[in-house]
Amino acid sequence: MRISRTLALAAAGTLLLTACGGGDEVNTGSGGGGSGDNILVAAVSAQPDKFDPHTTSAYPSFQVLENVYDTLVVPNAEDLTMEPSLATDWTTSEDNLTWTFTLRDGVKFHDGSDFDSADVVYSYNRIIDEKLQNSYRFTNVTSIEAPDPQTVVLQLTKPTPNLLALIGAFKGMAILPENAAEDLDLNTEANGTGPFKLASTDANSTELTAFDDYWGGKPKIDGVEFRYITEPTAALTALKAGEVDWTDNVPPQDIESLQDDKEVDLQSTASVDYWYMSMNFDKPPFDDPKVRQAIATAIDRDAVTEAARFGAARPNETAIPEDSFFYYDYAPFEPDVDKAKQLLEEAGVTTPLTMGLMVTDAFPESVTAAQVIASELEPIGIDVKVETLDFATWLDREAKGQFDAFMLSWLGNIDPADFYEQQHITGGSSNYQGYSNPQVDKLLTQASTEVDQDKRKDLYDQAAKMIVDDVSYLYLYNPDVVQAWTPGLQGYQIRADRAINFESVELP
Amino acid sequence: MVLVGVSLIVFSLIHLVRGDPVRLALGTRYSQETYDALRHRNGLDLPLVQQYVTWVGRALTGDLGVSFRSGGTVTSLIGERLPATLTLAFAAVFLALLIAVPLGTVSALRPRSFIDRFATVISQIGISVPDFWLAIVLILVFAGTLGWLPTGGYVPLTEDPLGWLERLVLPAVATGVVSGSVLTRFVRSSVLEAMGSDHVRTAQAKGLPERQVFTWHVLRNALLPLVTVTGVQLAYLLSGVVVVEIVFSWPGLGQLALQAVRSRDYPVLQGAILLFALVFLVINLLVDLLYSRIDPRIRR
Repeated sequence: MRISRTLALAAAGTLLLTACGGGDEVNTGSGGGGSGDNILVAAVSAQPDKFDPHTTSAYPSFQVLENVYDTLVVPNAEDLTMEPSLATDWTTSEDNLTWTFTLRDGVKFHDGSDFDSADVVYSYNRIIDEKLQNSYRFTNVTSIEAPDPQTVVLQLTKPTPNLLALIGAFKGMAILPENAAEDLDLNTEANGTGPFKLASTDANSTELTAFDDYWGGKPKIDGVEFRYITEPTAALTALKAGEVDWTDNVPPQDIESLQDDKEVDLQSTASVDYWYMSMNFDKPPFDDPKVRQAIATAIDRDAVTEAARFGAARPNETAIPEDSFFYYDYAPFEPDVDKAKQLLEEAGVTTPLTMGLMVTDAFPESVTAAQVIASELEPIGIDVKVETLDFATWLDREAKGQFDAFMLSWLGNIDPADFYEQQHITGGSSNYQGYSNPQVDKLLTQASTEVDQDKRKDLYDQAAKMIVDDVSYLYLYNPDVVQAWTPGLQGYQIRADRAINFESVELP
Repeated sequence: MVLVGVSLIVFSLIHLVRGDPVRLALGTRYSQETYDALRHRNGLDLPLVQQYVTWVGRALTGDLGVSFRSGGTVTSLIGERLPATLTLAFAAVFLALLIAVPLGTVSALRPRSFIDRFATVISQIGISVPDFWLAIVLILVFAGTLGWLPTGGYVPLTEDPLGWLERLVLPAVATGVVSGSVLTRFVRSSVLEAMGSDHVRTAQAKGLPERQVFTWHVLRNALLPLVTVTGVQLAYLLSGVVVVEIVFSWPGLGQLALQAVRSRDYPVLQGAILLFALVFLVINLLVDLLYSRIDPRIRR
């Protein structure tokens, strides 16, 4: 009884307050959004965990941070080659061991203080000294110095052709003002040099406001509100109803029908992510290259792509997507049941053979893909047991080598070293399958210090060929980035690295 | 006492479950050094017994620790989401009672009538329909096609009362209908039972007016079990309705707990479960107090 009285009172209060509020409530809330006219409302699928760019690894955080912080260099929106940002210019010494960066003049932080080389030194040293997430990116760096306020010098132990990608690939390498970790609670506060300031955040949304003194010019919109809408159907409905202006949470099954929909503007582009499957090299019979090749031959990547992504992906037998300079056109496996059977026979395997395939419900598309793979391996006498696990358990079993085979993806790869090195080099930190090929090791090591782009590509091509032939990874596809926005939204560019940047956006 | 027991069980169970919060926090690319440093920073390299003692010691002073994932205090994370959860739980129970009491009573008073059959069918549907399906249909119809209500989200009552109410309607219906269906059947059977009891028949035989028999002899007795079941429903709703929260972007405790499980964020999970245990205790206490008010026999 107590309950109903409380609620009745609350309801009565509501009516009263609404009545007092007057009529303008109705006008502003054209879609029930309640935000101002020139604020872009973006529906993202999850709440950021925290806003410290150096300690988070969560994509929802980087969606916001992309608009708040800057890095020395930044991937170009077109082809992800590195271009100037906080650094305007850089030179390398003859021996390629000294990199000198000239910093942009007149850059201000959100609190009004000036940006200079001490901030760069502080930010990089914070990552290194506290052994944070991205400290591995400085493995070759021995010192970071600031001879004057406009110059930063990095000393390296060996030539590092991908240094720019290492320090600029994403906002995890953001430049914070000196002593930011002491002055601010970086988990909830931010002080960057980017186009927007972090205004507020709670369990419902995160709000940014335009930064008037942004070095790239004040943004055309007054702010951005990131709203967390996990359910894709709800996000799409909110977009169509005008409650939100932009979303990357598009239900995959709706992509095709949305292409002709006048209510939304849908765009997609090939991403630099890739999905793969891998087998345990320490578990017979998967240690036999013929068995792995048989499986690679039995799988029809087109069918997997269609089922898992409703076609919004590009099948690929290597890792690097077609648009990249480092793309290597190599596809030795044609779906062929007879050939697969023959390979299994040559390996001397008695069928039916049981194979556990570990996937995680954190990525529903991998569950669907695994089911398709299971049905494709059945005709060649492999009985696939799809094991759907929560991600924590999945990672635990991967780390302990408790699997026959698993499926996962690598996201946000920029440099070929991101695609191949730690995954396939003997003892690499991500080489959970236990692959070891001395020739691949040699090629990858050589490529990591080769400063000539063409020579470097040639080395990675050779390594990729062996990785594919040995089926260290069984590459499946590069998923598309799919985003939708309200028709008439101008100046937004969809990117292969999934960075979300609202700097130049104009609302209709 | 109960809470200490709960805390011990929760702590042991959480640490028995597979999964490494440090690996989950670091994502895919990191060095062993980074891993060790973060493990140390979160105190996960200490012996379990020591971790438990430290945690209980702090919990006693109201400090539930710091989330591995967000770096925020557990009390602030829970506090931030408590209003949304309270709002939805009470609204859903209110709605459930609004459906269940009249519908259940009428169908018990007129067994096998049209309204009784209607109530049976409706509550059967309400129980069988999955809540996520109902939630999505509600969004598609009322936020999409008709455009009457927002698709989801939450605003505090104090900030925007109309927005608060608009956003509350659909999630409250999605949860309230399910609870209401369960309660309808309950009300019906307890009213029927009370009607058949000796004292009611005696009252009827005495020739008391129908209305008086009903309010004084039937309803009062039927109310007892209803209070218990409503209490259970409320406690259940207060521990968060994950699916409905997710579909309606409702920032409640269910989502927080789910995220904590996924990322093996031990401090948050421990704090949330402790709170749920506390909620059950308090509601049980309230139910017992209500009992004694309704039923004089319990009062001594």
